[in-house]
Amino acid sequence: METFDIVFYIFATLTIVSAFVVVFTKNIMYAAFSLLFTFIGVAALYVLLHADFLAVTQILIYVGGILVLLLFGVMLTNNVVSVDIKTGTLNTIPALVAAAVIVGSLAAVFYMTWSTVGEPATAPTATTRAIGELLMTGYALPFEVASVVLLAALIGAALMARRTRKP
Amino acid sequence: MNLPITWNDVLALGPIAVVFGGTLLLVVLESIVRKASPLMFWVTVGVLAVAAGCALATIGVAGTAFGGTVLTGGYASYFALVFSAGALLVTLLSPAYLLKRATAFTEYYILLLAAVTGMMVMAASNDLVVFFLGLETMSVAFYVLAGFTRQSVTSNESAMKYFLLGAFATGFLLYGMALVYGTLGSTSIAMLRSSAAAHAGEPLFLVGLGLLLVGFVFKVAAVPFHMWVPDVYEGAPTMVSGLMSTGGKSAAFAAFLLVFGADVLQSAAPIREVMAVLAALSMIVGNILAISQTSVKRMLAYSSVAHAGYILTGVIAANADGANGVMFYLLAYTLMNVGAFGVLSILETASVENVRIDDLAGLSRTRPWLAGLMALFMFSLTGIPPFAGFFGKYYVFTGAIGAGYTWLAIVGVIMSVVSAYYYLRLVVVMYFQEGSPDQVGTATGIGLASLVLPAIALLALGLLPSTIVNLTMQCF
Repeated sequence: METFDIVFYIFATLTIVSAFVVVFTKNIMYAAFSLLFTFIGVAALYVLLHADFLAVTQILIYVGGILVLLLFGVMLTNNVVSVDIKTGTLNTIPALVAAAVIVGSLAAVFYMTWSTVGEPATAPTATTRAIGELLMTGYALPFEVASVVLLAALIGAALMARRTRKP
Repeated sequence: MNLPITWNDVLALGPIAVVFGGTLLLVVLESIVRKASPLMFWVTVGVLAVAAGCALATIGVAGTAFGGTVLTGGYASYFALVFSAGALLVTLLSPAYLLKRATAFTEYYILLLAAVTGMMVMAASNDLVVFFLGLETMSVAFYVLAGFTRQSVTSNESAMKYFLLGAFATGFLLYGMALVYGTLGSTSIAMLRSSAAAHAGEPLFLVGLGLLLVGFVFKVAAVPFHMWVPDVYEGAPTMVSGLMSTGGKSAAFAAFLLVFGADVLQSAAPIREVMAVLAALSMIVGNILAISQTSVKRMLAYSSVAHAGYILTGVIAANADGANGVMFYLLAYTLMNVGAFGVLSILETASVENVRIDDLAGLSRTRPWLAGLMALFMFSLTGIPPFAGFFGKYYVFTGAIGAGYTWLAIVGVIMSVVSAYYYLRLVVVMYFQEGSPDQVGTATGIGLASLVLPAIALLALGLLPSTIVNLTMQCF
């Protein structure tokens, strides 16, 4: 077993175990914090796949943004921290069917030959610079349109959250 | 890749640049002018009129800009014209309606122009990333506009439902794009069409197209993803429903026609068969459910599902007739549906939020103009000549027959006959039933003018359809 494999298994275990905690814990704060470890584990897996930009984005957006938002949401809402959340089983049969389909397709991917992707012919280089250059050249328009989406979302959120007023 | 972006690229965007600039101008105006409402209304009208003129001027010169990620002129300009015309009529009808709902807030115009920007970007997209961002711009603006009357419970329900289901559909669309990108190694839509034949046998490509189809079918409101339509159209402010059902649908179909072009459909046969079944189901389910509705808005919502089926027929045809038919149909549908929702928005009052069909009894005596215009829009929606609705159906069905989908055209014609029942029932109620609709509102000068305009246009397009068809022919 090489160092690469050892590192992979450490982070894979971290991801899966913390994901189990998220699903099965009854305390919403524990769930939120173990989600942090799931996200970090996934980010590490991206690094192992040479997807450096994706890994950093994963940490910035999910850990830095979404998770903090989630924790604030929990903390600012009354009576959420102390209340046990329901983790019982509902809709057993549809859930079993869905789980069987997912396990089946995962197994198919695992045992089929096209699942094994070889090492790239040339050593991968850092992608962040190339992505940045593309955003300013070939994808300049999507980059600008994204700002319209954010503008519309900001105005919409402000409008929806504002106190009732007269026109 | 080293592509310098120049001013020429920005100028080539034409109507998109105008509307986007208008959105930003409104944001600034709102913050520096006190009591900005009338000013913002007129600026919105002006911006949309300039955008329409700009689209009309650039329709003959097709090309690409921004390194081939966006289409300019031709196809994009034609749809920009459709969107600006629809949005202009909606804007003209809006102030009177918003005052009745006590929500005449200035943000309305900003969000409306943002939605139109998104629609134009969608119809001009030559890259899946550009298309996605256009779709999101339009959808985010619509989520907010649907819940614009905040004190109304149904409006909140409408916004919530549209937002949750829309986000879900976006997920499908994005997953489909990822898989298509995975097979092609490119997000270019032109490349997707040209290399579809080479990849048609790959399961991953077909699954990607299938997921894209789910997203599109949701956005154009066809069966089986039509459940949100009646609740959303009923709860949203009436003029917003008018824009969603016309501009939103047209933009989704414009992109649909770009992504699922003739090359893609001819090589991906299973996808085409699924689409044919969905089109037939949309026509059947939409028309049959529309018969049993008592609320006019819900009836129009189910009728919009049925129209999605007719238009989808033109997409499936995957030939010039079908594509021309789709483009003509969307212009005609925009005019007649904005008109129908416009009449409703005038008839509604502060207390009557939802006009039922029975409320219209005797309307021809108390409001002869409104009744006459509504009857005209209903005739056009049914597809009775000489109105434009007839030629829309004629072209898409001709395309379907040319492509060997005769059974689909037969289903379409039978279902058009079924639809005559509920469209004409409205006319019968207005003209031949006794009643005293005193509780309905009256039209302002601007309101009546903005209903007469689409009515004249529908008649003109119905008498001279070749003027528009000559335009759409140039786009391919």
